[in-house]
Amino acid sequence: MGKYLLRRILQMIPVVLGTTLLVYALVFALPGDPVKAMFGDKPVNAAVAAQIRAEYNLDKPFIIQYLLFLKNALTLNFGNTFAGQPVISEIGRAFPVTIKLALMAFVFEAVFGVVFGIISGLKKGKWYDSVILIVSLLLISVPTFVTGFLAQYFLGVKWRLLPVTAGNDPGFLDLLMPAVVLGSVSMAYIIRLTRSEVSSNIAEDYVRTARAKGMSNRSVIVRHVLRNSLIPVVTYLGQDLGALMSGAMISETIFNVHGIGFLTYQSILKGESNMVVSIVTLLTLIFVVCNLIVDMLYAALDPRIRYA
Amino acid sequence: MKRRLLAVSAVLCSMGMLLAGCGANGGSDSGQKDSKSVITAFDTEPQNPLIPGNTNESGGNRPDSLIFAGLVSFDAKGKASNEVAQSIEGNANSTQYTVKLKPGWKFSDGTPVTSKSFTKAWSYVANVKNAQKCSSFFSTIQGYDDLQKVGSLKGDEQLAGLKDVDDTTFTVTMSKPDATFPIKVGYLAFAPLPESFYKNPKAFGNAPLGNGPYKLESWNHNTEIRLVRNNLYKGNVKPKNDGVTFKIYTKVDSAYADVQGGNLDVLDTVPTADTKSFQTDANLQAYNQAGSVIQMFTIPSNLPHFVSGTEEGTLRRQAISKAIDRKGIIKKVLNGTGTQPVDFTSPKTPGFSKDLKGKDNLVYNAAQAKELWAKANAISKDNDKFTISYNTDGGNKAIYDAMINSIKNTLGIDASADPMPTFQEFRNAVDKRSIKGGFRSGWQPDYPSAENYLFQEYDSAAAHGNGSNDGDYSNQKFDALMDQAYAAPSTDAANAIYSQSQEILLNDLPAIPMYYDNAHGVASKKLKGLVADWENMPVYSQLHK
Repeated sequence: MGKYLLRRILQMIPVVLGTTLLVYALVFALPGDPVKAMFGDKPVNAAVAAQIRAEYNLDKPFIIQYLLFLKNALTLNFGNTFAGQPVISEIGRAFPVTIKLALMAFVFEAVFGVVFGIISGLKKGKWYDSVILIVSLLLISVPTFVTGFLAQYFLGVKWRLLPVTAGNDPGFLDLLMPAVVLGSVSMAYIIRLTRSEVSSNIAEDYVRTARAKGMSNRSVIVRHVLRNSLIPVVTYLGQDLGALMSGAMISETIFNVHGIGFLTYQSILKGESNMVVSIVTLLTLIFVVCNLIVDMLYAALDPRIRYA
Repeated sequence: MKRRLLAVSAVLCSMGMLLAGCGANGGSDSGQKDSKSVITAFDTEPQNPLIPGNTNESGGNRPDSLIFAGLVSFDAKGKASNEVAQSIEGNANSTQYTVKLKPGWKFSDGTPVTSKSFTKAWSYVANVKNAQKCSSFFSTIQGYDDLQKVGSLKGDEQLAGLKDVDDTTFTVTMSKPDATFPIKVGYLAFAPLPESFYKNPKAFGNAPLGNGPYKLESWNHNTEIRLVRNNLYKGNVKPKNDGVTFKIYTKVDSAYADVQGGNLDVLDTVPTADTKSFQTDANLQAYNQAGSVIQMFTIPSNLPHFVSGTEEGTLRRQAISKAIDRKGIIKKVLNGTGTQPVDFTSPKTPGFSKDLKGKDNLVYNAAQAKELWAKANAISKDNDKFTISYNTDGGNKAIYDAMINSIKNTLGIDASADPMPTFQEFRNAVDKRSIKGGFRSGWQPDYPSAENYLFQEYDSAAAHGNGSNDGDYSNQKFDALMDQAYAAPSTDAANAIYSQSQEILLNDLPAIPMYYDNAHGVASKKLKGLVADWENMPVYSQLHK
């Protein structure tokens, strides 16, 4: 296990390097000049523009800019935003908000997804199975920004049940609507995943054997069906935690949650490559770590993987 | 194994509880208790540190214009009156000014506002070494050119044209006549700065300290900017609230939903999707009146068949302009959030006249448009495609589609819109002069003067990359009038000359005015004192509940 862990951690290095290079190249390739855009429609004082470019290394060729970024990043200096704020402190401010939001979405989708999935899988063909299937299909097919705006309009503006936007220092209630919207698509997938796993496993030979041994229905389902059915679900959930962090962009902008997605959106608009790349690096790390945890959980759930 | 699964679910549960717990504490906003007298307003994260000379966009301008007070201030209609200045006296041809300050003004930390607070600050902004975005506003002051030579500068060199006579008097010598100077000094970039600024400009930009009606309480980046009343302020503005908290958004839509839901007091714009309903929404109060921003499209002066100053070019420009059904587009596409233009400035500009000769060229007239185009074709047949470029990220698509249709249908020519995805890309193409057709050009004034619209956009001195004359329009008669206006003895005299110069523009049409952007926005029902000023912004200091 220790050796495995070390290997996985070493694998992260090329992943992070590759991702940052790619993202840096993408931001660099964005059309237009961020410095000129700072002047809007107003006349650009060429000398001033040159000064600003030099300050942010924007006057250097792409690869030099990237290497400078890497060099600084190794000493944990991620540079400053155009507004003169250290990138790292901006991320430090936004990150906890997104973590809170993503965890809430995660808990929501995991609990409701698995519960509804199991009910649906065990009672296949019943009316509530059909209802759950239709609702999950709806959630999957409607884009997040539509669900987001609808939820905001009805729950927030019209009926005043929940805060319209999250705003400064959001608490549980402020984040409830964005988290549910954010987690709803994944929840629908989890419902369907759990349902199909449960309904196929329940027909397996080992389940019949267990029943034949005289095990109670409850322990058959909990100890045999669920444990096997949850493996793909856990995989999905693990990867989804990373996706939730990055996917927060849409729901964060709709609900004005001042998290990582909000920050990324603003930074892309302004062409702040340092900020964008730093955020993506962070998200990459989260993805990789989540995958690692998933692999560890596999071992916990399935002895065959552990002993292999 | 069972224990492990239990552990996982226990973690999940405790996470949920933890979050619920956070909610209980975090939910009560600490600002709520004094919210009675504090107004919340929409803003976007400032692009730059809040240094007046480096602030050139509305995200920073909203708070900065409340934190700083200049020599003069403008009322809601754009009329200038002395603020920190006791008097600004110019000589006969507007090349030298003597500025006297009112005694007793202080920055919010208690240090006095002196002549040096102005002269040193202006020199700092003008000095290219300091890379301030508004440096070009000082270009008419003597010594500006010396402060543009990057290599030899240290950053603390002073403008040669500024002389401190004593603590409350200083003189300004211009390098060329500038009759607008007494108005220009009301622009944010001309604000005074305290001594503490120079010790650490970056730190100052994060926690600006000014002499305006409000002072900064806190700036929580990307979240909110809190301003409270500055009790040391003694100028023209009489605040009716105790503070303004700017909440930061990336999307206007969520701010609009917040006003509807009672989470935000005032929003100075309306999302396009809501322009139809914002004036009738029972949850809101709304304003919508002609404003100071003019929307146009420029046709480059050297565009084949449209060359400025030639008979053919002028005929075609007039034909295009008359082929646009502005009234219909304003009504149908903008839902009435624009106003039919009659000049090249705006109804909020002092000296504005709606009776200029040639204003008919801005009115839809299909028959005349066709006639003019045919006349031009008689001189030289034009079979080229006519395009107008614009950036789509500002929500311009519907307007440009409607306009192109109007031109196409009226003149029966091959016309099309050429959308570009981002403003940055669009500006780049404009700067490189690579657009072979018309292109979007809007103008938002920095200070309420016709000069700010006309010189910047149409004088030869501002062409070819030296300013914002992006169509490279050049007309000696127009240039001469600009010079005359700069040397005029009074603002009224200058305005008369600006009117004359506009009649040249109305004939030549270097750009084709489309509409004045209306100042429009929404506020919660309980808010009182909602008026829009000459910058299309609510007068924040007058808002109260």
